[in-house]
Amino acid sequence: MQAFDFASYARFKWSDMALILRSAGLTMEVTLLSLAMGTLLGMLLGLQRCSKNRAVKFLPLIVMEPLRNSPLIVQLFLIYYGLPSLGFHIKAMPAALATLSLNTAAFFAVLVHSSILAIPGAQWETGYALGFNKFQIYVHIIARQAVRLLIPQAITLYISQLQCSSLVSFVSLKDLTKAGQVVAQKTLLPFLIYGIVAGIYFALSYPLARLARYLEKRTGFTI
Amino acid sequence: MSYTLNFRVLMQYSGLFIDGVLLTLKICAGSLIIGFLLGSILAVMRQSGSRLARGFAAVWVEVLRNTPFLIQLFFFYYGLPQLGIYVDALTVAIIALGINSSAPNCEVIRSGLMAVKTGYYEASAALGFSRFQTFLHVVLPISLRLAFKPLTSNFVNLVLTSSVCYGITLMEIMGVAKTVSARSNRPFEIYLILLAAYCLFTYAVSFIAKAIDRKIEIKL
Amino acid sequence: MAMIEVKRIAKSFDVKRRDERTGRFVRDKLTVLKDFSVDFNQEGVTVLLGPSGTGKSTLLRCINGLETLDGGDILVDGMSVRDKRMLKKIRLTCGMVFQQTVLFPHLDVMNNLTMGPVKLLGMRRKEAGERARFFLNKVGLSNKEKARHNELSGGEQQRIAIARALMMNPKALLLDEITSALDPEMTSEVLRILENLAADGVCMLAVTHEMAFAQHVASRILFMEKGSLVCDAGKDEFFTVYRRENERIASFLKFIGE
Repeated sequence: MQAFDFASYARFKWSDMALILRSAGLTMEVTLLSLAMGTLLGMLLGLQRCSKNRAVKFLPLIVMEPLRNSPLIVQLFLIYYGLPSLGFHIKAMPAALATLSLNTAAFFAVLVHSSILAIPGAQWETGYALGFNKFQIYVHIIARQAVRLLIPQAITLYISQLQCSSLVSFVSLKDLTKAGQVVAQKTLLPFLIYGIVAGIYFALSYPLARLARYLEKRTGFTI
Repeated sequence: MSYTLNFRVLMQYSGLFIDGVLLTLKICAGSLIIGFLLGSILAVMRQSGSRLARGFAAVWVEVLRNTPFLIQLFFFYYGLPQLGIYVDALTVAIIALGINSSAPNCEVIRSGLMAVKTGYYEASAALGFSRFQTFLHVVLPISLRLAFKPLTSNFVNLVLTSSVCYGITLMEIMGVAKTVSARSNRPFEIYLILLAAYCLFTYAVSFIAKAIDRKIEIKL
Repeated sequence: MAMIEVKRIAKSFDVKRRDERTGRFVRDKLTVLKDFSVDFNQEGVTVLLGPSGTGKSTLLRCINGLETLDGGDILVDGMSVRDKRMLKKIRLTCGMVFQQTVLFPHLDVMNNLTMGPVKLLGMRRKEAGERARFFLNKVGLSNKEKARHNELSGGEQQRIAIARALMMNPKALLLDEITSALDPEMTSEVLRILENLAADGVCMLAVTHEMAFAQHVASRILFMEKGSLVCDAGKDEFFTVYRRENERIASFLKFIGE
């Protein structure tokens, strides 16, 4: 069988590996940028969701719900292929960044909202009783505890978004996945190439996954 | 874009869309079954006494969770022929998606299994049940009821992920959408409808799942 | 011949404890029972008394095979607990009720009760249902057939657990501190049922702290301390003679407020 024809593995050159590694760099770029933007936006949306005001509370849902309940590809294509037909011409990179950021923001907002809600009401009441106002309570009491709950879940989200970044190959961005496709087609060594590509994604993700699990167990970890 | 064209596009290509939906359904049904069966086996392995079984299952789950589905799909689609296994894209999709979903299913079923307190095992043994009977009549019913809600959530993710199978040129919903949007030059409407359709599907499944869960839920 | 013969059994547990000197965790062996022997006949109510951690529960659990023996043997109706093939029969002979109620949460009361007889004794559903109603009546909960475990109070749950054990037609009931987790009101509910059952002739082996129960219902009392039998006597003897003569017993009884 072809798979075991080890001589053919010589077709895999260093230049191919270099391409793969360079493209991994692009994947990292895209992922980190969109995670950063998504986190910021998600934070805003999430805090909005915590407000008492009915309108403020439900407004973010208009954006969040479609983003959370549909596939990333559809969102990506809607932006990349759909917007131009409305007159907004958009290039691949911005489209990918926008999609991934929005998607991340939607999920992150849920995390923020649930982390804050998880803090017992007694904490609030104590804060008021001590004389703090709402903002101070948020900053000094609530935020620190919420963040402790939030971080492991956020890390898990980030890992999952890293996997999702592979979809940007569908809009011809030269990311790790695209590089894998190119090299695999060139060398005709799918097991090796996709194995390596998977390995790189794994190497980027697994340590973070362990970190998240460790932090989750140590619910007493201080921020 | 004008409003009326939204629906006309759907009508024009309704045949293709229906075919696409059917194919998506096929993919999801097949991989649901595989994913659930594999997930159950993996969960039992994870809880077993054998270190080998535990380790194998753990590695399996970690690899699947920390690599992109698209890569997994390519791995099977382009790799299997090299092993001499020639199957069509649909089968590859079902296998890959099934294997992919076995990982979250394993975690969910496992937490269901772990929630069964030792007290139940003991009470069951004290009545005279063998280990197998205890598993069949006590552990399994309890675990599955506990795991139902998260399993449906995994199912929703499965359906959403199935759209990635577009990458191996399957004409499931996504593939149809791409083709139609290219032909009709109305990509925005099409993808918007698609988005809405997926959302509706998610809501429908969640609603049904909640209703069923209310009937079968156990307060431990 | 006695129904349950406990022959020189030994049982120890591996525990992790913090060593005082080094501060690190060490694996240690906690010997709970050593060279322990006693015989039980199928008659009346035997109560096991004693301070906590003296092996009373462990003894019970060894009898029906929930704990494996490190040494010695127990014969239940002639069957050895060391013989794995006999374990099922042994458990059918001795029904056990635990401190924490474990009614199966996915079944209602009727199914909880009939599950054992139907699946293990091959009883038909109808027959098992009638039998269940009989025992529900005995424990005073005839109207709770369709209830689920979270609709019942702790005392009611324990009474159902007793009924469930009785459904299997055991020769003896093993009761492991079944009222320890209940508040006083529920405790007296359960004890009343036990008294009725004892009056009906059900043979019981109970580990308990409830003195009132021991005084009213027990026919034989075993006092254990640190894994060995300090006193094995009839009820009256225990409460008169031994209480006076044995310091340890006296202080224990005083401690529980006798």
